[in-house]
Amino acid sequence: MLNYKSSINETKKYSEINMSEFEPVVKINLRGKKRDFITKIGKSLSIIIPTEPNTSSSNENLNILWLSPDEWMLYTNEKVHKLENNYNLEEKLFSEISKVNLGSVTNVSDHWSIINIRGKNTYELLSSGCPFNFNKFKNTKGAVTQTILNHVDVIIHNKDINEINLFVRRSFSKHLWSWMNDSARFL
Amino acid sequence: MNKNLRITNNKFIDQTSRISFKFDGKTLYGFKGDTLASALLANNIHLVGRSFKYHRPRGIMACGSEEPNAIVQVGNDASMTEPNTRATEIELYEGLEASSQNCWPSVNFDIGAINNFFSPLIPAAFYYKTFMWPANFWKLYEYFIRKSAGLGKSPTKPDKDIYDHRYLHCDVLIVGGGISGIIAAKTAAKNNLNTVLIDDKNILGGTTLFQENECFKINNSYSNEWLKKEIETLNSLKNLTIKTRTSVAAYHSYNYILARENLTDHLDLNEKKDKIRQRLWKIRAKKVIIATGAIERPLIFNNNDRPGIILSSSIKKYIDYYGVKCGQKISLFTNNDSAYETAISLSNSGVSVNSVVDIRDKTNSLIVKQAEKLGIKIHWKSTVVNTNGYKRINSIEIMKLSDDSSAVVGKKIKEECDCLGMSGGWTPRVHLFTQSGGKLKFREEDNVFLPDKSNLEQISIGSCNGDFELYEVIKNSASSTNKFLNVKNIDYENLEIISSKEMDKKNIWLLPSDKPLGKTKPFLDFQNDSTANDVKLALREGFKSIEHVKRYTTTGMATDQGKLSNMHALGIISETAGVKMGELGTTTFRPPYTPLTFGTIVGRNVGEFFDIIRKTPIHDWHLENKAEFENVGQWKRAWYYPKENESMYDAVQRESKAARDSAGILDASTLGKIDIQGTDASEFLNRVYTNAWSKLEIGKCRYGLMLNEDGMVYDDGVTARLSENHYIMTTTTGGAANVMTKLEDYLQTEWPELDVYLTSVTDHYATISVCGPNSKKIVSKVIPDLDLSDSNFPHMSFKNAKIDKIKCRVMRISFTGEHSYEINIQSSYGKSVWEKCFEAGKEFNITPYGTEAMHLLRAEKGFIIAGQDTDGTITPVDLQMNWIISKKKYDFIGKRSLYRSDTIREDRKQLVGILTEDPKEVLEEGAQIVADTNKKPIEMLGHITSSYFSPNLKKSIALAVVKNGKKLKGKKMFVPMENKTINITITDTIFLDKENKRLNA
Amino acid sequence: MFLINCPYCGERDQSEFSAGGEAHIVRPKQPTELSDDQWAEFLFMRKNIKGIQFERWNHAHGCRKWFNIVRDTRNDKIHAVYKMGEKPPIK
Repeated sequence: MLNYKSSINETKKYSEINMSEFEPVVKINLRGKKRDFITKIGKSLSIIIPTEPNTSSSNENLNILWLSPDEWMLYTNEKVHKLENNYNLEEKLFSEISKVNLGSVTNVSDHWSIINIRGKNTYELLSSGCPFNFNKFKNTKGAVTQTILNHVDVIIHNKDINEINLFVRRSFSKHLWSWMNDSARFL
Repeated sequence: MNKNLRITNNKFIDQTSRISFKFDGKTLYGFKGDTLASALLANNIHLVGRSFKYHRPRGIMACGSEEPNAIVQVGNDASMTEPNTRATEIELYEGLEASSQNCWPSVNFDIGAINNFFSPLIPAAFYYKTFMWPANFWKLYEYFIRKSAGLGKSPTKPDKDIYDHRYLHCDVLIVGGGISGIIAAKTAAKNNLNTVLIDDKNILGGTTLFQENECFKINNSYSNEWLKKEIETLNSLKNLTIKTRTSVAAYHSYNYILARENLTDHLDLNEKKDKIRQRLWKIRAKKVIIATGAIERPLIFNNNDRPGIILSSSIKKYIDYYGVKCGQKISLFTNNDSAYETAISLSNSGVSVNSVVDIRDKTNSLIVKQAEKLGIKIHWKSTVVNTNGYKRINSIEIMKLSDDSSAVVGKKIKEECDCLGMSGGWTPRVHLFTQSGGKLKFREEDNVFLPDKSNLEQISIGSCNGDFELYEVIKNSASSTNKFLNVKNIDYENLEIISSKEMDKKNIWLLPSDKPLGKTKPFLDFQNDSTANDVKLALREGFKSIEHVKRYTTTGMATDQGKLSNMHALGIISETAGVKMGELGTTTFRPPYTPLTFGTIVGRNVGEFFDIIRKTPIHDWHLENKAEFENVGQWKRAWYYPKENESMYDAVQRESKAARDSAGILDASTLGKIDIQGTDASEFLNRVYTNAWSKLEIGKCRYGLMLNEDGMVYDDGVTARLSENHYIMTTTTGGAANVMTKLEDYLQTEWPELDVYLTSVTDHYATISVCGPNSKKIVSKVIPDLDLSDSNFPHMSFKNAKIDKIKCRVMRISFTGEHSYEINIQSSYGKSVWEKCFEAGKEFNITPYGTEAMHLLRAEKGFIIAGQDTDGTITPVDLQMNWIISKKKYDFIGKRSLYRSDTIREDRKQLVGILTEDPKEVLEEGAQIVADTNKKPIEMLGHITSSYFSPNLKKSIALAVVKNGKKLKGKKMFVPMENKTINITITDTIFLDKENKRLNA
Repeated sequence: MFLINCPYCGERDQSEFSAGGEAHIVRPKQPTELSDDQWAEFLFMRKNIKGIQFERWNHAHGCRKWFNIVRDTRNDKIHAVYKMGEKPPIK
């Protein structure tokens, strides 16, 4: 059998902040411009695609994040089996969207790593390396932003008060993780 | 500590906590709350440094960031020592060690001081003028000049301190925590605005904090008592963040402000450890209120630079705030009312004030009257013409001014003193305002530049805006803030304010002396030792622009950036040249306002965080197997895998040979990968690549070359057709991000009609390349279900497969010319698949090879590396790759440029192969190629782009770009090196297996 | 450091963006019909204005969308931001 290996695989705790990798979850990049694209996905997943910039919508199983006027990130709340990857969601969407030329469906599960950050110092940590203004964001559950953290591209999803899921491309994740640990010890 | 110099009833200094520190090796004592400067003065030490050019003894002159003289070296550890710090800004801590700069062997006996006696021989720009000729002697001159000049010593080892950066977003930022800043902060925060107030001192309050004088009262309290209550109310405001020990370094457009916060500099040596020393705040403020106050001006007269000559307001701060007497017999010299406040403070603290020398005829303001009431002697309409005392002032010489003030008249009076306070009026601190792009206006009445127009959401209030009287400061600060923030705070209306008003003003930039100008030393820029004479000389020599005079005389160019000297330099220039000051303008104030350490600028971007590091999913395996790494873009790629004691050369030779002899394995995960979907995907590829794509069968791969619009090669890679409207493109490792941006650019701007969607999947896949004659056997062991027969799975095709329950895509493509497979699988399983391949390949001596061997192998086949063999000036025709340029396509990126007059030239540099006459001689990449070594100058025809010793061909091979190279095959040429000339022959670019037999071996 | 109002994501720090040169230079639809001079005009010739300038920017570290801005190069003030394909709101 193949071995599964995530990029970070650690949980760390500092003053008023907890950081851990949230994996493995299915992540799918969705792109489309047509109205049918939006309605089809909505029906198929029983979730409304957010068209308002910097927002997301969620249900019990799924989150859809707005990334641009024609691009979204879908990710699951449930973890998948490490050795038997579940391709159902991707295949279903691919045949309902891409195959019928409504848009694109691309599996990006391992393109992105998710770091879950919780605690009162969450935004203090972000402010050490992120030029984004979180004043409004931090009080808006479900808010999404794409920005840079310590020069690395990230997507930040506000899960709850003082809890975020931070998306970082896998190849950068170890470096960013190590920078976050370094910064967190001074909080 | 000299007890006589401390007054005991002081409120700001904790005289119960004694601190020991060292200055120039001597142990001294001060108190918690002292600065190094106040502690030195309390120890009766005035002489702290030597001036830059003449090595004149210099003392503490100010009490803040404007200090020009008292700059010291702090610490003596090779990694922690810091030069050029102002003694007036260093808070005293247990264990502090500081020393004088710019003197040798000591500040008391400095050999360089001999320059002072030769000073008439060292005029402005002396160094420029003297050491110009002969030009090649400069090396020699520089050595000696640098030895005798220079300020402090740089640390020689890496800084051990920790620095970091923070971003901050607020509605209102107030710079300066004096009375105006406090009024503004309270107004903003009370009105629910997210407010930040910063001040460079350790407590708020500015100079009003210690203004306890009958002439300045608010609602029947002394101004300091009133302000203290205001500060207390600030602490209860929710929306207000107060940052002390924080100074703004730079004010950029869009209200982007950089401020340095000192976190541990004031702590005892043993408390500093493992804490962040300084933090750079990157602040975005919707609105900015500048309340930075004003700097007291010195007066420009003969020998105005001796230790013991101090700005009058600083003497006041030393006595009222620090409880330190700057002398026992103090004289004051002024052109305005503020020196009288100092005189009253000194008198109230029991220090005898000799007299006040005032250049004005007579004035009757409240504060002057009070001074007179205390019996303070005043010399009206008089000036100081000289001072005496080498290492400390001991007397001044006073004379009456003539009626037109251009000369001195009458008898010279000598007055003994151990300290002289001087006040030449006030200069608003407009530095930040001008840094932000604001324009200044000139106020004739008191010769000040004031903030005028700005494009930003900002105002200046208080004395930095030209309000110098207490009454004006409160009234105008409150009303301007209300208007600016569009709020109505009535706290500051109907206050009963008593405030002495200055009634007479008089200013003389360069005070007259009884001696002719050439015989006097009226210093303008104390740190850089330029005098009024230097500025006048520059004007006589024809300099007109203030920016030129500044550079020629170095006035205002020291580490204090002329905070004290600029106004006088401008005044003297305008007077001498007969130009109005308002028309003359000012020199540019550039950030940082006060010097920053490199550590603060860099923050945590040091060591492992110096640059971003990207790692492949197989990185840990490379580490475990002792790979050496190469930086490719931000990636760490396995470069080669040395076995015990093996050199890089030997390792690369071994790896390259093994890949062709049996099997090699390469981590190719760094290649850029872009998923392309949409009904116009094929049309899109037709437009971005030089070759045609519509007819590529599903399941097949094709190599593509991407050009820039100028026709030059930009990137290359293999693209596979997954289904009718679905492709996956690979790009070079370094080009991935740029290619993605470029393709998105075309889709969004030039071809929005195309139905195509791009998604980067670079990091989603681990890419494992297995190559060599035994690669098929190895892959068949790893994926037994896959039919690897040439008929089912030919070169340039791919298959979808599964390894255990995980999907993967296997591509039969080759960058080495060997039979090879590229397995693409989700990154989380990459390392496991790699290990599986390695295990399966053990019986075939499978050899992991790094990027260096990969480069060698592809060079044997004459494959290019975009970015190594091309440099943005090479077209596909230059590469002799005409076969990849579609003739049928109407258009593609860069097509039109391929037949511009320049690109169709026959004699462009073209890619060729190179063989050396001596097969063992390996050429240097970058070496020049010439045809004729006799004709001078030698014409350089091209250069080597790739060069290796090929273990498979057992000879040296190289690729090069050579002018007209296409037609020169077989021609003998030369590569001249430093010690020899190498004979070479131009050849074809393919050195190995021209018939491509190995691909299907 | 500017603050740029991305027409999709709103006001963001300049470090999230990359600049893409002069705006409103359209790639010729029929490059083969053009003379060398005409092609060179498209390829190389760019204005460098002291004053109001039309520029392309990309929200590279955000939504990755290209858009145009009107900037005064004398003081860096951005007078308008508009989407690709839209007419400049200021002349």
